[in-house]
Amino acid sequence: MKTLFIISWRNIWRHPARSAVLLAAVIAGLWAGVVTVGIINGVMQQRVDYLIESEITHAQIHQPDFLAEGYSRLFIPGHDEITQWLSNDPRVVSFTSRTITDGMLQSPIKTSGVRISGINIETETQTTNFHENIVDGEYLDSDINNAIIMGEKLANDHNVEIGNRIVLTFEDTNNELTSGSFNIVGIFRSASATFDERNVFVRSEDLIAVLADEPVFHEIGIMLQHEDMAGEITSELNAEFSGIKAQTWRQLSPELSMLVELGDVMMILITTIIMIALAFGILNTMLMALFERMREIGMLLSIGMSKLRVFGMIMLESIILTISGAATGFLLAWLSIRHFSGAGVNLEMFAEGAAQVGWDYIIYPVLTPVEYFAILVVVVIITLLSSLYPAIKGIRINPLEAAKNT
Amino acid sequence: MTIVRTENLSKVYNPDTVPVHALRDVSIKIEEGEFTSIVGPSGSGKTTLLNMIGGLDKPTSGMVRINGEEISKMKDSKRIDFRLQNIGFVFQHYNLIPVFSARENVSFIMLLQNRDKKEIEQRADELLEKVGLGDRKDARPVQMSGGEQQRVAVARALASEPKFILADEPTANLDTKSAMNLLDIMSNMNKEQNITFVFSTHDQRVIDRARRVITMVDGAIDKDEYQNTETNEPA
Repeated sequence: MKTLFIISWRNIWRHPARSAVLLAAVIAGLWAGVVTVGIINGVMQQRVDYLIESEITHAQIHQPDFLAEGYSRLFIPGHDEITQWLSNDPRVVSFTSRTITDGMLQSPIKTSGVRISGINIETETQTTNFHENIVDGEYLDSDINNAIIMGEKLANDHNVEIGNRIVLTFEDTNNELTSGSFNIVGIFRSASATFDERNVFVRSEDLIAVLADEPVFHEIGIMLQHEDMAGEITSELNAEFSGIKAQTWRQLSPELSMLVELGDVMMILITTIIMIALAFGILNTMLMALFERMREIGMLLSIGMSKLRVFGMIMLESIILTISGAATGFLLAWLSIRHFSGAGVNLEMFAEGAAQVGWDYIIYPVLTPVEYFAILVVVVIITLLSSLYPAIKGIRINPLEAAKNT
Repeated sequence: MTIVRTENLSKVYNPDTVPVHALRDVSIKIEEGEFTSIVGPSGSGKTTLLNMIGGLDKPTSGMVRINGEEISKMKDSKRIDFRLQNIGFVFQHYNLIPVFSARENVSFIMLLQNRDKKEIEQRADELLEKVGLGDRKDARPVQMSGGEQQRVAVARALASEPKFILADEPTANLDTKSAMNLLDIMSNMNKEQNITFVFSTHDQRVIDRARRVITMVDGAIDKDEYQNTETNEPA
């Protein structure tokens, strides 16, 4: 084995430039591939984390028809019993109840359709980090009556600012049209300009005062110790309470769930493209090396080197070359991801476009040990597979090649 | 003692299209200690015969026995191992492993035989001394002249302690001085250690040094005669 290793190692460096080019290609390919996968993962993860932590939460409870129809009369029955149940469950980290209705926002210059969410400041702050999106003014903990915060885009569209008043008109729980005047206390900017354009937030007690005769809630957002618990807890809630529908974030936002799956598909796709290029690189280099050494391999077979050893020698050459390149590529990729996972990849030049579709422009690449391992396994398999053909061709060389005059 | 024996050996290339009869019913015996040249014009079948004797090619009919064992019907893997243990090869183009030093080239075949490391080192050094390359052990083929490379090839052929050595045009690429030097080395080994050599050659210098000359024409033996000898008799 030692002899095979020595001969393989020296064969690799017989043409240093050629081996170096392949090595550089493996290193660059692996680095670029792993970092790209890390960035895509980071983008997906950030989007998912952002939506879960600022809007959706891990699970939500509604009246079964509320999400489809949106009427304010479709509030959650038995709200207090449910919140009591949630308070007693150790898997639940926090939860918050929201009063929601769709309505019209009127300013002196125009009218827009918006979703009005009445929130409990204390529990909302414990459950989501939406309050971190405030870019101007203050959150709803202001002393001002009928306070409202609105998205930057919506405020700009209506040419309103902090201190201005706007009117919200909506249907109350008795299906009567009602309206209220609200004072702008804060402006928020989330990752999505579309969200900012269509959502306003008020205190739930202020909204309930206009909307219903008694406290009503249309949504309970729940944060759990781990997102994996969402499935079991929603099942238990649906079994325990009638007239409600508890759903996980994946059920509530199928597009977000699809985004996670898309990330996995992208990883497979990018890895496959890189691996195919890698495989052809190895194949080409090893076949060139083989064709140059027909006589030499013929000689080895003539003097008594077994086909198994010749096979092993050729395989070993590919493996040493590719694995050393892959290891270096992985190391560089790991260092890059480690650096950028802290510092972030700043894509500020695309910030405006990214905001339109709800993406953050600073990306923090993420790659789990399992993903590193999966890519490594694929590299090893591809190396072995692409080395097989030259190795098989090598053992089929006729020993008589050694005696040829040309 | 008979080392090599062929009986009615024939080789036909392209039997189904344009048959080429490279060998026709060749029967020879080579005894231990012979220094034999197989000669003949190009296409006479001398290299084909050498390849058959060396187990590098299979005959269309007939048989080849080496030291009593029939190699023409052996499986590929068994023949490779048989060659490793019994036959030494010297090629026209030396065919050394370019990434190995002279010493490593000689040692390599013994490593394939799984011999003891100390024994390998000792024997490689001895053989290189014998071929006059004691001071060139660490040189790689690219750093050596053709004559030096061919002497390393002879040392490599001897390293496995084969029953006999087959040399295909060993002096074809050498100048006169190097060729004579190489022939001296092989001739001395033959005389002193009774090592059997079989050459395929055009080179008159080799033919002149051989004690037996087998002349081939059109794939058959035309003449088989002894020269410069008092001990060997024709087969």
